[in-house]
Amino acid sequence: MKKFNGKITVILGVLVVLLMAAATWYSVVCNDWRLVAPMDLSTYEFTPRDLPMLLSTVLFVLYALYLAVLLLRFAVASKRQAAANNTTRKLNPKLGLLGFAGFFGFLGFWTYSAFHAVSPFVFFAFFVFFGFFYEGKMSNTLMDERYMENRIRAELTAHRVALSVTFLTLILLNLNLGSLEFTLIAFTILISLAMALDMFLSEYLLYRYDRADQLDEGGEE
Amino acid sequence: MTMPDFECRLKKYRQLKDLTQEQLAVQVGVRRETIMRLEKAQYNPSLKLAVDISRVVEAPIEEIFVFQ
Repeated sequence: MKKFNGKITVILGVLVVLLMAAATWYSVVCNDWRLVAPMDLSTYEFTPRDLPMLLSTVLFVLYALYLAVLLLRFAVASKRQAAANNTTRKLNPKLGLLGFAGFFGFLGFWTYSAFHAVSPFVFFAFFVFFGFFYEGKMSNTLMDERYMENRIRAELTAHRVALSVTFLTLILLNLNLGSLEFTLIAFTILISLAMALDMFLSEYLLYRYDRADQLDEGGEE
Repeated sequence: MTMPDFECRLKKYRQLKDLTQEQLAVQVGVRRETIMRLEKAQYNPSLKLAVDISRVVEAPIEEIFVFQ
């Protein structure tokens, strides 16, 4: 049943992306780039030729919401199960690959120069998903008192490092980047990266502490 | 914070009860790695864990964990 649902989700995703690509192509070729190129929506007037782009956008948003609900349900179920068994949640280390989405943050430099849009910089926060790699390696581990001790130690160190980096960068930002706009962009990047660093380091250090503990351990004696 | 020096005789008492590290770990609700660290005196257990271990191996706490 689970496999069936997964297949349907992937097929739906591919369909939505194909529809979006087709609608974009139609808009570029037959509709003068309407709703593709940036436009002033306050003066927008509906024309039937906008329908493909509008419909595909609605479908895309609905699919994104569906994915978000699926993810939330999975996270809640996983957390409940972990709490009941007193173990860490089950997670595939391959989910760490999602961290590469953080590189989309570099798109911000292009979107800023082309459209003055800074929101893609927020993608830098996606580097946090690299933490899934280490969380996955610690997946389904019994959370005994030594684990909890290591967890607190890892989180404290991660918070301290992230806070120090934020603090130092804020001091550097005070040195003046030329304009308030550049300072705000740098601040957006900084906050996204600091958040990602904090959460990634928590998982990485926990793994390091736990495994480093085991490096000098032998087997049964 | 440094860990206080102590000698741990858990291995001796565990073997007297003919228990493996895994069996002891399951009985006191911790991971086998925690028992390993304890036996090497590289982990300072909570009072609850120390009491649980002493009950399982049937030896007084001060006999298992000897603080200098």
